[in-house]
Amino acid sequence: MREGWYPIAACDDLPAAHIYQTQLCDEPLAVWRAADGHVNVWQDRCPHRGVRFSIGTVHANELRCRYHAWRFGSGSGACTFVPAHPDRKPADAIRATAYPSVERAGLVWTRLAGDQAAPPVLLPSTVPMRAMPVNRAEDAVVAAISAAEMPGVHLFVQPVSAGRTVIRGLAEDAALLGEHDDALERLRRTLESA
Amino acid sequence: MLLYEWAALPECYAVRLLAAILEVPLTLRHVDYYPAHEHESDAFLTLNPLGTLPVLDTGETILLDWLGALTYLAARHDPERRWLPLEHTDRMASLLEWLSVARALSESAGAARLHDSIGQEADIAGCRAKAHALLRHLERHLWFGERAGCSWLLQNEHPTIADLAVFVNVILCEEGGVERLDYPAVRRWTDRVKQIPGFVVTSGVFPAATLEVKQGPGA
Repeated sequence: MREGWYPIAACDDLPAAHIYQTQLCDEPLAVWRAADGHVNVWQDRCPHRGVRFSIGTVHANELRCRYHAWRFGSGSGACTFVPAHPDRKPADAIRATAYPSVERAGLVWTRLAGDQAAPPVLLPSTVPMRAMPVNRAEDAVVAAISAAEMPGVHLFVQPVSAGRTVIRGLAEDAALLGEHDDALERLRRTLESA
Repeated sequence: MLLYEWAALPECYAVRLLAAILEVPLTLRHVDYYPAHEHESDAFLTLNPLGTLPVLDTGETILLDWLGALTYLAARHDPERRWLPLEHTDRMASLLEWLSVARALSESAGAARLHDSIGQEADIAGCRAKAHALLRHLERHLWFGERAGCSWLLQNEHPTIADLAVFVNVILCEEGGVERLDYPAVRRWTDRVKQIPGFVVTSGVFPAATLEVKQGPGA
């Protein structure tokens, strides 16, 4: 699996009790903020029967799977409660696959492999732009944004799958979010019509 | 009031949903759309020559279109005019635009779902592409709406019939092979719709997390 840190959400994408759904390098992810503030980035798959966590529900510091209501704790991802066996402590091995997360510059970053520390994002004060999913491969998108002239924005890519990429950006001026979004829409149209 | 419906159609769900929220009692009359094609029978075509579902018999009139039925219910049974802001010209214009989007979603995402579930004929690639174009439009609108402090489709403190009309085909679209993965603001908005007091589910729609979970041992 690919190493390195990637932005996969904006911090604003995670209101209370919401489970955000995304994908990084073919790995489906369920992302949610616990009541204590911790951002969980989990493989979007219950270890019990494989149902997507992202159709489940959040209850304070636990995520409850929609299928059999098994509950998993924020942070470790360890199973905390199995309703069919209310008097038994779940085995320690029953865990959601949890990836590390950091919040930097209004974006949520994660890595699927490797042990590098999260890089600092050294930028003047910025606001996250609207994520722009593009149905094109990462290298084509990277080439297009390198060639694009967009002063006042800092762009990153989230490789989703072989032919899909999300462009994430930080804007220096919140008043220009609409214009920047228009520019990214044009960039997407160009890429997808090529 | 009598609703002729086939429960699995999003358009029928929309009418049941608004009636539930407004606490309007409905008598349901099952029309076997599939497999019996009862909507193509002489008896049904006498009621609705268009052959579409649902049909709402209000006792005064027969409404042949789901968006007409939503408009009727809101106009007659919401005295506070929250669901249909008739006094606000600009909001009504915007509402009609979103009802057009709702119909376009029905003809794209909805048609893809009927193709995948009951084998109804459709240009499946075209339907899915059109659905994604509409979802991209919806995503952008809702994302910028959130920044402006707006939770709903209209610049309105309260949801309107447009939210419900768009919601029903969005929340079931994955059954037609149209993923919502790329539409995070749309997913947040569907969570908000599910929290409207009186909200009811249908097959394929999960409720919001409102029930307190009993604590397990040691928790």
